[in-house]
Amino acid sequence: MAAIGQAAEAVTTPSALARARQRAAYVPDLLVEASRVANTVIAGWHGRRKRGIGENFWQFRPYVEGEGLARIDWRRSARDDHTYIRDREWEAAHTVWLWADSSPSMLFKSTLAPVSKQSRAMVILLALAEILARSGERIACPGVMDPVSARNAAERLAAAISLQTMADTFPELSQIGRQSDLVLISDFLDPAEEVIEKLAPIAKRGIRGHVLEICDPVEESFPYSGRTEFIDPESGEKLTAGRAQTIHADYRRTYLARRESIAENLRRLGWNFITHHTDQPASQALVALHTHLSGVPAGGMRGSAQ
Amino acid sequence: MNALPLAFGAPAILLGLVALPIIWWLLRLTPPRPKTELFPPLRILARVLKKEETPSKSPWWLTLLRLLIAALVVFALSKPVLNPDETQLSGDGPLILLVDNDWSTAPDWNARMAVADRLITHAEEANRPVSLVLTAERQHNAIPNSASTARERLQAAEPRPIKSDRQAALSALLTAYETTAPGSLAFLSSGLAEPDTQGAWQALLDKGASDVLLFQRDDGNTLALTTADNDAEGFALKALRLNKSAAERYPVSALDNKGRPISSGELVFDSESGEGTAILSAPFELRNDFATISLDGHATAATRYLLDDSFRRRRVALLSAEPLDLSQPLLSPLYYLTRALEPFADLILPQQPELSDALSELLEQRPSVLVMADIGTLPSDAADMLDDWIDGGGLLLRFAGPRLAGGNNDDPFVPVELRRGERALGGALSWSEPQPLAEFPSSSPFFGMPRPDDVTVSRQVLAEPSADLAVHTWASLADGTPLVTSNQFGSGRLVLFHVTAEATWSTLPISGHFVEMLRRSILLSKVAGSDTDENGEATLPPYRLLDANGALKAPSGAAQPLEIIAGTRPVTSFDNPPGLYGTESGFLALNVMTPDDALEPFQWPEFDGTATRAGFTPPGSVDLLPYLLSAALILLIVDSLIVLIMAGALSRHALRRAGPATAATMMLFAGTLLLVTAGPAVSSDEKPGDAEILQSLDRTHLAYVVTGDRRTDEASQRGMNGLTRFLTYRTSLEPGEPVGVDLETDPLALYPMLYWPISTDAEPPSAAAISRVDAFMKNGGTVLFDTRDALAGLGAAGVVSPQTARLRSILADLDIPALEPVPGDHVLTKAFYILNEFPGRYRGSPLWVEAALENEESRNRPARAGDGVSSIIITGNDLAGAWAIDENNIPVYPTVPPDPVQREHAFRSGVNIMMYMLTGNYKADQVHVPALLERLGQ
Repeated sequence: MAAIGQAAEAVTTPSALARARQRAAYVPDLLVEASRVANTVIAGWHGRRKRGIGENFWQFRPYVEGEGLARIDWRRSARDDHTYIRDREWEAAHTVWLWADSSPSMLFKSTLAPVSKQSRAMVILLALAEILARSGERIACPGVMDPVSARNAAERLAAAISLQTMADTFPELSQIGRQSDLVLISDFLDPAEEVIEKLAPIAKRGIRGHVLEICDPVEESFPYSGRTEFIDPESGEKLTAGRAQTIHADYRRTYLARRESIAENLRRLGWNFITHHTDQPASQALVALHTHLSGVPAGGMRGSAQ
Repeated sequence: MNALPLAFGAPAILLGLVALPIIWWLLRLTPPRPKTELFPPLRILARVLKKEETPSKSPWWLTLLRLLIAALVVFALSKPVLNPDETQLSGDGPLILLVDNDWSTAPDWNARMAVADRLITHAEEANRPVSLVLTAERQHNAIPNSASTARERLQAAEPRPIKSDRQAALSALLTAYETTAPGSLAFLSSGLAEPDTQGAWQALLDKGASDVLLFQRDDGNTLALTTADNDAEGFALKALRLNKSAAERYPVSALDNKGRPISSGELVFDSESGEGTAILSAPFELRNDFATISLDGHATAATRYLLDDSFRRRRVALLSAEPLDLSQPLLSPLYYLTRALEPFADLILPQQPELSDALSELLEQRPSVLVMADIGTLPSDAADMLDDWIDGGGLLLRFAGPRLAGGNNDDPFVPVELRRGERALGGALSWSEPQPLAEFPSSSPFFGMPRPDDVTVSRQVLAEPSADLAVHTWASLADGTPLVTSNQFGSGRLVLFHVTAEATWSTLPISGHFVEMLRRSILLSKVAGSDTDENGEATLPPYRLLDANGALKAPSGAAQPLEIIAGTRPVTSFDNPPGLYGTESGFLALNVMTPDDALEPFQWPEFDGTATRAGFTPPGSVDLLPYLLSAALILLIVDSLIVLIMAGALSRHALRRAGPATAATMMLFAGTLLLVTAGPAVSSDEKPGDAEILQSLDRTHLAYVVTGDRRTDEASQRGMNGLTRFLTYRTSLEPGEPVGVDLETDPLALYPMLYWPISTDAEPPSAAAISRVDAFMKNGGTVLFDTRDALAGLGAAGVVSPQTARLRSILADLDIPALEPVPGDHVLTKAFYILNEFPGRYRGSPLWVEAALENEESRNRPARAGDGVSSIIITGNDLAGAWAIDENNIPVYPTVPPDPVQREHAFRSGVNIMMYMLTGNYKADQVHVPALLERLGQ
């Protein structure tokens, strides 16, 4: 009997980018909820309700000595005796930090799923980057790429990832600013306590986090039976079950308890937690993330891609 | 020899048992290989799995099972035999192998061959020459030869269905060993003694063979059927057996000539008696069909007793001066004779009316018995013919009568001299009473039958008294006058019943004794058919021969024709094996055993030294190889199942996952099974044209005969259309499209009625078509002939229109009952509408139907019982013309006179005819419905 699961080749970023573009094309432009947009000077599309650098008209105000003559709006000034200056609204971009796990366990792909978890994670990551870039947000990847605001940010992110492999371990997140959004994509197979231990300090700093758990259907349904030897792709550890079907129920309980525990803790921190199965289309996860980033559900509600 | 009666054909292979511990070690060491699965959430799994202990080794009982399989295979390969055979030859010099191959050796022939082959092998190993002598052969070659030659001869040997000839075999051996001394003497005996061979045996044993071996079957019994007699109560069998000790019973069955058992009985041997008897009680008629009698479960030539024609039905020719008139059968003598003889004889009646022609015709058919009822004098040529026939062994059975009584005195074919005239007993002018019969004399074949009390004789012909009259009398009246007399005539016999064969002279022909007396008389006759010349000698070719297993086969080349010499009983020999000799029409059965044979056990004569006695199969010698291998295979299957269950292959998950593939495999498997079991495909019985027939069967169709005249056919078709339409509107009958029927080719049976317009322009139908129509009418169909000539005659009597002439010519070839115009109370007048006449385009021509048989009762009934729908209806009113409509449902032809009411009546006539056709007498019975309902109180 052929093995159910296998380690897939790591997906190349160009192909992931192409698929990400496809996915991104289905998702409407993403305007990150601008409730607490970082106070940066870089132009973006979030109106700050005060004058500054921007494209949209904000107000006319009387010319004050010392201001550049080029800023005088002559058409308005011609209507009466005063001289006016046209102010535009200050528009600022938001920074979204994207990170996808690329540890060996992510390369797992079962017969029930069309792609590996890593492939799916990369596609979602780049699709998100594409959508955000289209909306003019600043995109960054911890340890790989500093915040960038460009129409081709997704390409640049893809190039950066292909050139500089993402760290296997959890990334260094100290440089992330307070008002940023953080999207974490991983399978979160570590024990729940360890995951929360890592995420809790970040959440405490006020960063809004969106956690996407990618899991293979096999990991959840555990369809093994008979004498089976299980191998951990990360550590190479082996474990033999005499009759795998007997532990089906126990395993499922433990596995779901871990997910529940992570979700519960993150919700308490005000973060979103989404579970995505690789046998479902990537768009589902993308839409769910999009929804959360747009702030449509009340903050803290646990989303689901189901 | 051994503590265990176990021997190994290949003991070296037992060394393989040493490998068992190694297998054990390997099995204990290697657990079943697990499936390897990559599984990222291993750490989660590890928490769960901690408590389960994983067996790294197979369970001990599985290991034991596998060791057992291995041990069984090793044991099986070493060819163990339980209770092996220990026959050994000692001494040196040539080995004499004397093998009986007579009829009694057939059942265990293979065992005998095996023993002989083993002995030859022993001789071959010791490099000793072998003399192989078979006792039931034509020639005996006793010269010692090499063992391989002997083996070749042995392989060619087969049991013979004849008795052995040990005398010849022994003398051949004595000649061959005149000078040399035999080393060993092995005798594979049938167990039967053969008379007059003790001297030869003594001489052979005195040659001084160093060891003497006797092989004889020590189980079972040798049985032989010796005689079978067709007695009054049944078939009496006699049989012999070799082992006389216990009382035994064996089933016996009688088979017909196709080998089907038709009767069975039980062969009973009393204890200490070598002779057993059985009675197969079966009706006499059934006994005629016996072809062989066989002992069930004993397949030898002597347990099949072949029967020939002497046990068979006799062919009896009947001759009477009067033909058998069936109108007054009770006055015809042949009627009584036929009824009495039919059960147990094949009867022949002459076709020729003239007496001598009839006689020669009858005698050509070789009857056993000729019955002549009241024939007085015969023409001289007939008398010569009859004389020859009786002289050649025929039995002439005569009945008296007025003609015989009035015949001349020198009639040669009477057993005793007769007085002229007859004697009347009783009657108005006589004091005497009709006489009953006396007891049958003991010399008579009728002896044993009870005296018939109910038979009285009122008239008879009388025999001249003579000294030997009593000898020839088979039955007499109470006053002593003979009633049945008989006498030899050459090698044949004459029997005369002094009364008539019908019940005018006596009541004998209507009593049961008549049948029995005839039967017993006929049993005395010989069966004709064998071609013997004057001296009773004949040469019969083999027809069917018994083989050693008691099966009848076509003759092989070795069998010679059987010479029959009068007065001697033919015996079986190598040239004349038992079987049927002659031709299919008449044959003689030659059986192995004759009635004076006996079965005695074989005994050695006294001699110096000892004889070793052994059976053919060592008691309970069993080859264990197949059993051990089967056991190993079963255990292997069990092991595979256990492994599959342990690996979870049969769990729900696995089955679901492997769903489609497994299903496909199972389907394939089941399909293969089906294909294997379905056997040869049943050939389709479809015929061309079935589709059209099926199509026209779904509803009733009106049919008309296609005459070939275009205008007539068009009118018919339109007429049928019109009637179909009318029927559909007015009745619950909704016919399909009208069908034109070609009488020559189309199937007629599909239509209840054929409308046949007579057209003079058309070709008259062929004879074949007429016979098809005849069959159609006889099988329940009806033909409606329409001459359409009601106006042609214009009422003038005697004028025959061309159409009527044509109709007459058609009907001339048909078997038509009497016809009548539809009477007023005929069902046709009430079948749907109440009609008084049946007009078409014309009115005036009556409608002719089959005349119903008048009976008294019918007068009181409102409608005549229409049992049997009239198979023919004839009209001249051109019904189809009145019915004919065109595409717009407008009538095509005007009625004469142009009266719309007449057309309506024409349609109603059609409806009534169709209803009559389809419902038959149902409508006639319908008229009783009110009365029935009234009786039911409704």
